Amino acid sequence: MMGGFEVLSAGIQATIQDLGRIGLAEIGVSSAGALDEFAFHHANRLLDNQYGTNMLEIVFGGVKLKAKGSTTFVLTGAKVDVTINGKAIEIWKTYKINDGDIINLGFATSGTRVYLAVKDGFKIEEEYGSCSVSIKEKIGGKPLYVKQFLPFTCKKLRDNRKLVNKYQPNYDKLLKLRVVAGYQWDMFEVKEREKFFNSSYKVTGQNDRMGYRLSGEKIASTCKGIVSEPIAYGSVQIPAHGEPIVLLKERQTIGGYPKIGAVIPVDCFKLAQTKQDSEVEFELISLDEARVINKKFYKIFKEF
Amino acid sequence: MRCFSVASVDSVIIYFGQDIGESVAKEVRESFYALKDAKLKYVIEIVPSYTSIMISYDYLKTSYKQICKDIDEVLNHAEEFSHDMTTRSISIPVYYGSEVGLDLEDLAKMKNLTVEEIISLHVKKEYFVYAIGFSPGFPYMGEVDEVLATPRLANPRAKVPKGSVGIADNQTAIYPQLSPGGWQILGRTPIDMFDTSYDGFSYLKVGDRVKFRPISKDEFIELGGEL
Repeated sequence: MMGGFEVLSAGIQATIQDLGRIGLAEIGVSSAGALDEFAFHHANRLLDNQYGTNMLEIVFGGVKLKAKGSTTFVLTGAKVDVTINGKAIEIWKTYKINDGDIINLGFATSGTRVYLAVKDGFKIEEEYGSCSVSIKEKIGGKPLYVKQFLPFTCKKLRDNRKLVNKYQPNYDKLLKLRVVAGYQWDMFEVKEREKFFNSSYKVTGQNDRMGYRLSGEKIASTCKGIVSEPIAYGSVQIPAHGEPIVLLKERQTIGGYPKIGAVIPVDCFKLAQTKQDSEVEFELISLDEARVINKKFYKIFKEF
Repeated sequence: MRCFSVASVDSVIIYFGQDIGESVAKEVRESFYALKDAKLKYVIEIVPSYTSIMISYDYLKTSYKQICKDIDEVLNHAEEFSHDMTTRSISIPVYYGSEVGLDLEDLAKMKNLTVEEIISLHVKKEYFVYAIGFSPGFPYMGEVDEVLATPRLANPRAKVPKGSVGIADNQTAIYPQLSPGGWQILGRTPIDMFDTSYDGFSYLKVGDRVKFRPISKDEFIELGGEL
């Protein structure tokens, strides 16, 4: 039986995300996809969903939904007050939802992005191989809007499954962004690199699904400009103004600014949970270390 | 000359040269298609640009060293992989009216030329598609006549209309959809640059040769153009 959520309040910005569209970067299409894969994969794991099943990525909260039919759902990610029919519930824990129930999200008090997932995901048609909404590219539909209906297949699963508290992330800790050297690394002199790795930076208001602009110590490169080249996930661009920009999943595919390297994926996930004025620092690690850290992360969620 | 470099934990970037030019572009294109044909295990994305190709791979299953070796092997035998390298010649209709050529008059003044001369400088050359990127279906083409070549606007526009044809330095491009942008706008095409009905979704492909054909306002509207 088909059920779904009717959107009563759409919040500031909420989008359907899965792991993004792959293979179209060569024609300028960004991958998009869930920004915080830690919260994303845990939501699917708690629901026994298939790896990469789509869900809502909600910036700050403020979303109100009315259920039609029943299912099991979970919220993960940013800390937010949530109620079902006015009764407070926990995040990182699965709940049954019944016909007519109203889920109401407050606003995040820690972290930025809340993930709302249902058993087996929303029944939404893929566009170019993914359900992910790419806001800038207008691909995969629009951000959530009032009166939208998000269909799901009615199903129930054992509820009250929970990610143990000590494994839940603390988004208020000082974030260390681990970086592998790459791209134009050689065009940054040793003293500039030292500045970069020994300063702390603040997240500016210019942060979105495309990237996070940071403010702090300015870094200079010997580079007079580069020929536009493809941009990898997590790339740290240093434009002429000298302040770093970390590029995330909705980044432009090609760009002409020098890059000192790239933040590793697991730390990009955490960066996406920071907010304006959060402090971050960069730390240089080797490519081998980076692989080991990321492998450890993905081992929990998939076989490889 | 091929130079491999780390781009990120999941990507390697290969540089084929330092400066934009047709011989490097040809090597990039040959290598790009050879890599696509080779269907190397663990390769996820292959993205070409002017002088480089980036390859993203499943770093959980293979290493940087190994993937570089695999790629190098393919590129060493690139000539043996036969694929259709004929260049398509494509004519793109453009309406160069003052209501859509937002920067025509300023450019003419700046260069001490007439608007007609600006248009004819843009129309007379054939352009090579170096890369598709920035946004879906956005073609980077070159090179624009040196008289016409002009830097980006000092203050980029918040909204550049869909189909706008512009120049930046010695490059020319078409905006596939309404978006912010700083290119100097000369006209507008009614052709969609990105659509599900196209084979490969993008109207233009890396390696295509493009000429712009000036059309009247009536023809622009007839072809589905929007003012």
